[in-house]
Amino acid sequence: MNLGISMFFERYKKIIVAFILIVLLFALGGIIVPNFLTVEQVLFTLKLASFTALFALCQMIVIAAGGSGLDLSVGYAATLTAVLTASVMDGQNANLGAAILIALALGSAIGLANGALVSFLELPPLVVTMAMANILQGIVNAYTAGRNITGRPSPILATLAAKSTGKFPNILFILFTITVLVMIVLNKTKWGTILFGVGSNETTAYLSGINVKAVRCAVFVISGILASLTGLLLIGNMGIAFKDMASNYVMPSIAAVVVGGVSLTGGDGNYIGVILGAIFLQALTNLLIAFGLGDAGKWLAFGIVLYVLLSFYASDRRSR
Amino acid sequence: MNKNNQNSSRPALSNYVFRPEFSSLLILIVMFTITAILQENFFTLKSIVRNINAFAPLILLAMGAAVVIISGGIDLSAGSALSLFTCVLTTVMKKSDPITGVYAILVTLAVAILVGVVNGFGIGYLRIPPVIVTFATSYIWLGIGLFLRPTPGGESVEWFRIFYNPGMIEGIHPYIKQFGRVIPPALILILAACLIWFIVSKTRIGRHIYAVGSNSESAYASGINTAKVQMQACIINSIFIFLAALFFVGQNQSGDARMGDPLTLRAIASAIVGGVAISGGKGSVYFALVGALILNFVNKIIFFADISTAYQTLVSGLIVIIAIAAPVAYTLYSKE
Amino acid sequence: MIVLEAIGIKKNFGGVVALSNANLRCYQGRITGLLGANGSGKSTMSKIICGVYQADGGEIKYKGRTVRYRSPSEARKDGIAMVFQNLSLVADLTVWQNIVLGKEESNGIFLNNDSAKELSRKILAQLLPDLDINKKVSQLNPGEMQIVEIAKAISQNPQLLILDEPTAALEQAQVKNLFDCMRALAKEGVAMIFTSHRLWEVMEICDDVTIFRNGENVATIDFEKDEKDPEKIISYITGDTQKTKVEKKHVAVTDETILSIKNLNYGKSLKNVSFDLKKGEILGIGGLAGQGQLELMHALAGAFHSLHCDAELRGKKIKLNRPLNAIKEGIVFVPGDKQLEGLFLKRSVLFNMIFPKMGLPGHPSFIPYDEYRRECEEIVEVLSIKTPTVDVPVENLSGGNQQKVVVGKWLPFDINVLLLADPAKGIDVGAKRDLYQYIVNQVQEKNTSVILYASDNEELVEYCDRVLIMYEGQIVASLEGGDINQDTIIACSMRLR
Repeated sequence: MNLGISMFFERYKKIIVAFILIVLLFALGGIIVPNFLTVEQVLFTLKLASFTALFALCQMIVIAAGGSGLDLSVGYAATLTAVLTASVMDGQNANLGAAILIALALGSAIGLANGALVSFLELPPLVVTMAMANILQGIVNAYTAGRNITGRPSPILATLAAKSTGKFPNILFILFTITVLVMIVLNKTKWGTILFGVGSNETTAYLSGINVKAVRCAVFVISGILASLTGLLLIGNMGIAFKDMASNYVMPSIAAVVVGGVSLTGGDGNYIGVILGAIFLQALTNLLIAFGLGDAGKWLAFGIVLYVLLSFYASDRRSR
Repeated sequence: MNKNNQNSSRPALSNYVFRPEFSSLLILIVMFTITAILQENFFTLKSIVRNINAFAPLILLAMGAAVVIISGGIDLSAGSALSLFTCVLTTVMKKSDPITGVYAILVTLAVAILVGVVNGFGIGYLRIPPVIVTFATSYIWLGIGLFLRPTPGGESVEWFRIFYNPGMIEGIHPYIKQFGRVIPPALILILAACLIWFIVSKTRIGRHIYAVGSNSESAYASGINTAKVQMQACIINSIFIFLAALFFVGQNQSGDARMGDPLTLRAIASAIVGGVAISGGKGSVYFALVGALILNFVNKIIFFADISTAYQTLVSGLIVIIAIAAPVAYTLYSKE
Repeated sequence: MIVLEAIGIKKNFGGVVALSNANLRCYQGRITGLLGANGSGKSTMSKIICGVYQADGGEIKYKGRTVRYRSPSEARKDGIAMVFQNLSLVADLTVWQNIVLGKEESNGIFLNNDSAKELSRKILAQLLPDLDINKKVSQLNPGEMQIVEIAKAISQNPQLLILDEPTAALEQAQVKNLFDCMRALAKEGVAMIFTSHRLWEVMEICDDVTIFRNGENVATIDFEKDEKDPEKIISYITGDTQKTKVEKKHVAVTDETILSIKNLNYGKSLKNVSFDLKKGEILGIGGLAGQGQLELMHALAGAFHSLHCDAELRGKKIKLNRPLNAIKEGIVFVPGDKQLEGLFLKRSVLFNMIFPKMGLPGHPSFIPYDEYRRECEEIVEVLSIKTPTVDVPVENLSGGNQQKVVVGKWLPFDINVLLLADPAKGIDVGAKRDLYQYIVNQVQEKNTSVILYASDNEELVEYCDRVLIMYEGQIVASLEGGDINQDTIIACSMRLR
């Protein structure tokens, strides 16, 4: 029995660390900043963290497939989707279907391009998705050059992403549903097993009859689609689309995965941890804003958190 | 999965033709020719100097990127580090007091070495994947840069223009002015970087950078302090970025915490286009220079092709993908 | 004269005890053999002596002085050099650059390349005179790489030279050169530690052997005084006195051809390979190291997409250009490099066992875990895999048990052809015996056909009904019956017959 408990701690060590960090952060905020620990404020923090968590889901799936995969284009795919669908929706529920279709098409096209370049041409994921980010931002720039982005999200979208049921932000229901789905797919279906297998050892997976390249390509497609759909939610939350609306989520999406204890070498992934990571980062941001440290403080803190946690987790590997 | 078929001996000629350096040289010649045709006054002194000035920052960053990539790392923080250095330079300097320029150079050089040490410490000693370390540090540099310069600006001493165009400095000796007109300071900065690498490559450090990048475990087993070598590579890179920062502040007389961002990817792409293998251990730092020239010429050609500046980001992203995908696609195609 | 004495060395990795109380002595001008099963601690011992690992307890006396090296370079400065089992060469540097790597001489600050080249030529003159020292290591074959590795260690003028499995990749002739070289070094007074899985090599070259078991030294045999009795040595290694050979009852190899391969070509490594495999047959693949045997096994497993080959299974045409195609036909592959090609180390035994089913078309989306767990536990039982539960990560298992997992994951499949690529490489004698016992049983009970590539000719002699010898990617001989013996295999491998 003792063995069982110690195995549990060993396995979820990093998630426990993330949880402790969050508790410490909220405690610190509660002591120093007035109103930091009110129910409204905490729920608001969770709401903001949801978007980071959704982008981090894209990231986690790509990372889990291994091959030093990362997707730096997630934020840009979301921005492009939001910018393009804003005028399509034009505040009408009737147009939401079209917007979703556009998001799906755009997301899969972007993902397919990333995935094909990474898996079939074996180019480094980081450089490919960074270049893709440039291309997408370039399209946004070209599209918005000399014109205003018109259009508003459909009311349904706004209700889902921005409104609350009682005190409870609706986006949290979406996040909860997605979390349950992700946990089931990753842990109970063959897709999750294949994903983790490819991530832990591609040669073994290949020799076991798995089409490794197809899997590596597919994760980028999934990431692209999820990112685009998150772009829709983002415009639903903000009410308008603008040029840099989602690019700032790229860094937090990776940081959330790391804080959540997911190994960047692939082959594992626990979405609960990633959500905790997103909450931690959001709480940290709020705290810094409360201290009057805006952008500079946020990026500096994110950078340092990432660096410190990585060195902390890396010490596991070094001891071998 | 099929790594077992090594070609043991190839004929000597094809040995050279199939080297990535060869194709990048070929592309450079093509690009050079196209640009020379498109730009009427391409061969005039003024235009050459202008081109060197325009090309210098990317060349310096590309050479730095090459050193890090050869050592088995990668630097995603190059652009942010460049921005940070411009912020530090323009924060230390007071326009009215020329001696602050010297202080600024010394302080920024120290910062540059520190930047290299922090990156190298993460990559080498902490053994965090380089992509992630430098991704994290890029935000640290950005954060510090934003603290120093929330908006672009700052002060620079007048004589700092010597890193850009000595002709613009009042009261300077006419010979120096004349010299600066023929040999732009940017060229001297590039040559300085080349000289630094030339010396390093003939020493143990240079050999060990290749060894560690090719196979760090083997290098470690051979008694090489791999962490130290990776840190040295990061410091060399940082110094090259520092040289680029001198040029920028000389040119703009101001600092900007975000100005370097677009250069990160382009620097890495230049190194790859120049035949540096992203897996490490292979390629030449000088050919990163060739890669940077190619990317710069491409930009010029876009400019001459009259493409709207709104499309610049888009096109440069496409070019990076094409540049790195083309050789791979070609080999795959020729294998079939 | 005692050069090195290790007393009561202890070393733990995580919770696993690698060395509990290990002692070792090396003498000037003598070659000490280290023997032991995998996981017995002999490799760890070597690595502690040369500074790759640091001992948790105990004492190492080198030339009478207590030493504690924190890195290989510290040990090297004291004259202790090691030839690594996993090569320590850098593929992108040339032969001579590798030989001096880590100890380059400089004129002022610049490297002195001329002296480095001269030194490399001098050392290689003994070992492999034809080698071009300006070649990049990536262009060498495994045997040549191993020689360069040895040259690198010798170039340090060590007083103590540790050779950890140096002969694994070598051809017979190269082994002979190496042994000559070792004897010459011994004459100069160099002390050596030599490990090898091949017992006869140890008996040939060593002056004394120390045998390790479970992290302790259990016996030391001085060949000058004691007799060279392999059975006795094996009994020390395994810890029991059971006969180690698997009794292979005569199996009636049927006349039915199960797999027929014609004109198999792959790049430069496989040329026009054709053969038939009978039902119930154990077909051996032999030859010198690196003659295409591994590639052939991979090709049959469907690992090469651009493979050209006419393959028929029971008279039906099949394609072997994807692993899944082979698996669907019941052609399953047990790779020799289990950690690299056969396992998900960080994942549980259960995960590893059920993974091959995932790729099969028509596998239900939801994994029937209850059923699979029961099946997995059965397999663990059948193969006597030593693991507390099936949820333990495979990396916690010993090498032999890991290899059993690799075999075990194919058991639920309807196996027509079992491909074994050096399955006993790097596993201990006990696990090896279990493994072959199981395979032979499988053949006897189910008439499974087996293709066995083994780098150790003894395994071929012992288990195979027929042995194909490969040379430069081609099959050059087919041995049957009484021809399957060490001498004939070696002679055919070297194309002497």
